Amino acid sequence: MPTAAATSPKAHRPIAARRLALTGVALLALLLAVLLSLAVGARAIAPSAVVDALLNGGHSDAAEVVRELRVPRTLIGLMVGAALALAGTALQGITRNPIADPGILGISQGASVAVVLAIAFAGIHSLSGYVWFAFAGAAVASVAVYAIASSGRGGATPVKLALGGAAINALLVSVTMAVLTTKASALDEFRFWQVGSIAGRGSDVVGQVWPFLLVGVVLVFSVARGLDALALGEDVAKGLGQRVATVRIVGGLGATVLTGVGVAAAGPIAFVGLAVPHIARAVVGSDHRWVLPMAALIGPVMLLVSDVVGRVVFPPSEVPAGVMTALIGVPFLVTLVRRKAVAA
Amino acid sequence: MSTLADSSAKGSRVRPAGYGVLRTGPAAFLVHRRAVGMGAALLVLLAAASVLYLCVGESFVSPGNVLKVLLGGTSPDELVVEELRLPRLVVALLVGLAFGVAGALVQTVARNPLASPDVIGISQGASALTVAAMTLGVTSYSVLPYLSVAGGILAAALVYLFAWRGGLHATRFVLIGIGFAIALRSVTTLFMTKGDYLVAQQAQIWMTGSLNGRGWPEAEVLGPLLLVLVPAIAWAARAQRNVSLDDDTATALGVRLGRVRLGLVGLGVVLASVATAAAGPVDFVALLAPQIARRMTRTAQIPLVSSALMGALIVVLADLLARRLFSPTELPVGVLTAAVGAPYLIWLIIRSRTVGGSS
Repeated sequence: MPTAAATSPKAHRPIAARRLALTGVALLALLLAVLLSLAVGARAIAPSAVVDALLNGGHSDAAEVVRELRVPRTLIGLMVGAALALAGTALQGITRNPIADPGILGISQGASVAVVLAIAFAGIHSLSGYVWFAFAGAAVASVAVYAIASSGRGGATPVKLALGGAAINALLVSVTMAVLTTKASALDEFRFWQVGSIAGRGSDVVGQVWPFLLVGVVLVFSVARGLDALALGEDVAKGLGQRVATVRIVGGLGATVLTGVGVAAAGPIAFVGLAVPHIARAVVGSDHRWVLPMAALIGPVMLLVSDVVGRVVFPPSEVPAGVMTALIGVPFLVTLVRRKAVAA
Repeated sequence: MSTLADSSAKGSRVRPAGYGVLRTGPAAFLVHRRAVGMGAALLVLLAAASVLYLCVGESFVSPGNVLKVLLGGTSPDELVVEELRLPRLVVALLVGLAFGVAGALVQTVARNPLASPDVIGISQGASALTVAAMTLGVTSYSVLPYLSVAGGILAAALVYLFAWRGGLHATRFVLIGIGFAIALRSVTTLFMTKGDYLVAQQAQIWMTGSLNGRGWPEAEVLGPLLLVLVPAIAWAARAQRNVSLDDDTATALGVRLGRVRLGLVGLGVVLASVATAAAGPVDFVALLAPQIARRMTRTAQIPLVSSALMGALIVVLADLLARRLFSPTELPVGVLTAAVGAPYLIWLIIRSRTVGGSS
């Protein structure tokens, strides 16, 4: 007994050490991305000046830019990136489907339609007001898409999920268009929000969003073991003593809340939730207790780097982060689909 | 119709069930009786819808007066009918015809109703390039249609290229098409955020597919383009029959499947892009029209003529509703076709046994 107890942690140690080292690397990458996001832009600021402005204050122009504009933007990038990556990981785990992503499945579009309706008809303009609409919209859309895809013979295959998502997307876009064309005044405000940008959001958004983010993170992490079991198949998971339905509902709730957070703060941003879980799994293996934290680290890196690239490609104007993530994400989707396993 | 009935009454020779022989002089054609009947019925419906379209509007014009104006008579309503409503109706008809045929061709080759041009990114490609040109200052209507066509073909070629992996698998094709559709939509939005407010609003309305303010300039480009394509469409109608055979049979009969398929899809892509250029991506007409037409005629292949007529009927009726539903504000016609088409797509997904296969 004592030998067995002593050897088994030893056998796991190299894997754990490797995972810890990789987490360290991911943290470093995240720090680098944060620094880039603070330093790069229409006005380039030296990293030393950024650190100085953060630590010592000061009232130089550079310090003001960093504190007033770039810090809130970077914080939102961190939160939205983590939220979408975790939502994607949870969705891929629950649906056992490699191409699940809040954007492709139409969940983000559901949240954004609800927000548009709230702005146009309920007269709500504050984030704390319409975040509830975003949750409701995301929930309705995710239930609808999953119901469509899993009905009929064959269950929820990747194609049926993607097509269901495309159909829901098209339907919701037409609703949005109908609202926007009949209420033209909302268009100018909306078109910047719609594309998914983390620019121009104040620090108050950060303050309003973090409690919801926390709730979502707790929900998703609480089903990490359940997701591991589910990966082995529904019957095996049941055999292992997991309550499959509970895992799906709690995980789905978590993913919905996280998507709602992301959409309310930054508009629909696609493909972060698709690409990041795959990268995270490639790095740390299939254990969700490691995959989830890793996704939460890599998601913000992808979003912040997309945002930084978007700031520098067409100098005076900025490319919204949502466009950049879509352009980075599509090659990812293409490789995934070209692998035999998916196109069954 | 009477010749058809007579020939089927003779009924002594062997011919496929449901077909009749149409004789004109020395020539004889084998025609699907139900398809001809449905085609005629659709034509009548379309004519009725068109007259209704010309009657209804800000002011009501009686059908009698509409017919009088159309036949060249004078009437106090001449301005309203001939200058305002007729050009728009013509564009609606042409756009519907083009989308109907395009959908029929692409669906025939893919053997899958889900692979219609608006699901797999062709319309989105046409939109992306057109909106890009708009924001860069190209507004001339003599250039934009060609850019749309180029965008549609480019998008189709990209999807085809990336979906090709030692063969074309329908599932992979649809998934990659959806991916490209999302990416191209975000490219379109990218250009819209770059442009100023007026261009953005114009592009936004164009992108939903609107017939508001469309008239002779669009029809003058669209009409001749479609006329030029008529021989190609006639070829397609013949070739379509071979393609719907299974691969082995078709190859054994000496059909060059690869080439025929490429030709059919190419024609479908061009038609969809041309229609997109005129009215913006009017979503789901290309998906709906062939499916409804096929269910009505109960033919083995998707009927081209009925699809075209059905497409025109859908667009005309949708635009009629779009004009009147929230008057005085007009909805883009694409909103209405999507509101009908998306639930139909959902129904298709639920009903189909295996989405990859034919249905």
